[in-house]
Amino acid sequence: MKNYLKLVNFEFNRIAILFSALLGITFVAQIVGVIVQSRSYLSMANEKIYDEMMSKAQFLEIFGQMSFLQIARSVWFMGPIAFCIAGVGFYIFLIWYRDWIGKNTFIYRLLMLPTTRLNIFYSKITNILIMTFGLVAFQLIIIPIEMLVMKVMVPNEFRRDMGVNEIVSSMPELGIIIPTSIVELILYYGAGMLVVSILFTAILMERSYRWKGIFAGLIYSAVAAVVLISPVFLHEFVLNGFFYPIELLILEIVMGLIVLALSVWLSGFLLKNKITV
Amino acid sequence: MRKYWKSTAIIVLIVLTIGTFYVNSATSAEQHPEFVIQTQSGDAKEINSLVLEGSYTDTSSMNYVSTNLKITADGSTYNSRSFLDQVTGQPPTMIKEFREEYRTFMRGKQSWVNLYFENNDFLAYADVNYKMGSLRTRDFTFDLSVLNKEDDHINSFTVKVPNSGELDHIFVEDIQLFDNEMILITQNIMKNDFNNETHIYTIDISNQTISNHEPIVQDPQGQGDTSFNVQIMRTNPTKANEHLVLIKREVKVIEDTESIREEVINEEIISVNLQTKEKEEINIPDLQLDNNQLSFYDGSTIYFMILAGQELVVTPYSLEKDQVGQAFSIQLSGEKDIVHGQMTTVKDGKLYLASAQMSSTIDAGVIVADLKTTKTLFKGQIALKGSSEEKHHFELYLHEMFVK
Repeated sequence: MKNYLKLVNFEFNRIAILFSALLGITFVAQIVGVIVQSRSYLSMANEKIYDEMMSKAQFLEIFGQMSFLQIARSVWFMGPIAFCIAGVGFYIFLIWYRDWIGKNTFIYRLLMLPTTRLNIFYSKITNILIMTFGLVAFQLIIIPIEMLVMKVMVPNEFRRDMGVNEIVSSMPELGIIIPTSIVELILYYGAGMLVVSILFTAILMERSYRWKGIFAGLIYSAVAAVVLISPVFLHEFVLNGFFYPIELLILEIVMGLIVLALSVWLSGFLLKNKITV
Repeated sequence: MRKYWKSTAIIVLIVLTIGTFYVNSATSAEQHPEFVIQTQSGDAKEINSLVLEGSYTDTSSMNYVSTNLKITADGSTYNSRSFLDQVTGQPPTMIKEFREEYRTFMRGKQSWVNLYFENNDFLAYADVNYKMGSLRTRDFTFDLSVLNKEDDHINSFTVKVPNSGELDHIFVEDIQLFDNEMILITQNIMKNDFNNETHIYTIDISNQTISNHEPIVQDPQGQGDTSFNVQIMRTNPTKANEHLVLIKREVKVIEDTESIREEVINEEIISVNLQTKEKEEINIPDLQLDNNQLSFYDGSTIYFMILAGQELVVTPYSLEKDQVGQAFSIQLSGEKDIVHGQMTTVKDGKLYLASAQMSSTIDAGVIVADLKTTKTLFKGQIALKGSSEEKHHFELYLHEMFVK
């Protein structure tokens, strides 16, 4: 346990710079987005009211009040989120390969540690999870700050204030990252971790068998995907909709756990016996 | 410990932030206004068993998420949009009850009430399946099940649809059960000319075969700007009816310079005795139905209902006696509100009527009338509880009403 925690901390320190860079980019881009969107709304209001002699009430009738949703739907807001997702996706691979390439093959030292080698796997997957949740938490913290900026810029009568919950629940694309209930949070990110574990296994296959390993990894991923969707497939095409939705959900969770256990076991086996440096 | 500050800090941050977010969202659930049915006149007891289902949308923001709700005499209840509820789905109330009571029987069955029949002894289901893949000839088969409620015996079987090669598609519109016979009323779309026909299939349950089938009303393709359509008169979808009532219309499309409208040239009301397959045309002088589809057949009497200005004109027609009853009218309130749609249903000799739409500028009325004495028993209005002084922009659409 202690060795695992040490490894987690160690891995986290290695991504701290990349991680803070992602946070910084998100913060700056979103704040700029708030300012740009608020300004464009205000200048439109100015133009309509002063140049085209529209009354305030008339303007609000046609264009509506400004809400944070306008900002959240803009590329200024969603762009950095997409960038962070891409960053984490990229790091899923880099977290392993950086140990092989680089100044000195670092994986030597990791593999020589007096602890079970599966801890390396666990600490790396934990770091991906920490990074993901860290980004989500940061987003939840900066949304209120961005709202404050909007509040300062846009006068009261042109503004409709919303809570963070309301924004998240009215944007399905944001609802995937920040689900509205804790059950969904566990299911979504659990599924995410499952995918990461399958990818890790495939990476380890490649590291063990090189070219042949790539094929093995691809085949393993495909098999895992087939196993995962098999309940839905059976339900739809063979059993004519036999299961009730809730039963199907439970079956899927069980399948997911089986695939996760298999991935962990396979990775452990590869790390212990087959890995080459 | 100092070595670990970065990862400790980030984990504490994650737990605190995400924890706060979910605690917050659990405690500050979305605030929706409560709707009540206010009594204007009559006895408020009359609406105790009435349930209105619809959806509520707050239009004051850019947020057009709607939430389903039910309005009863006790007020309104919103469907929770929790994850588990979304997984389970929200089938019509009747299907939900069937699923709870007959869990095994309801497996793999569509949640469309027309496909079910229920009486005291049996619950029956029929649907059409076809094999995927071959585009040209589809092998349509009927998928039939009957549950004997007494001994929980399920009799499930499939029957090939006769002449299925000629069909482009087939839909089950209603099913009925008489002793050992199941009767399916279907809408068949023919392959060669895409004509519609309403077809009756009689299925012998003990032999699991189709004993008889015949088209009852054909719905030929119109020529030029005229077209035909056949509708089944609204009725309680799962209950037993001896007759099937159809409305066949010939419609002409008239294109003006400014608008396109439809004019009904010819209208026939046909009743079919489902056991003898005897057809009969119902002729009521001076009756021209409108497009509102308010008319209702309750198993013995057809109530033709037409909106005329501020009134709903009801013409009863008894199928047993083949006789037109005395027409009467029910006064509705608010002429400008009536045009936004009305819903009707009949149960136990009472007519229930409700508006289909409400907003801050449109009022929605609810009326209960006795069909024998033609008296209005209850008149009321859907209203926001504790009518908030701030002007609230919302839209309420009611799409289903039923009487428990």
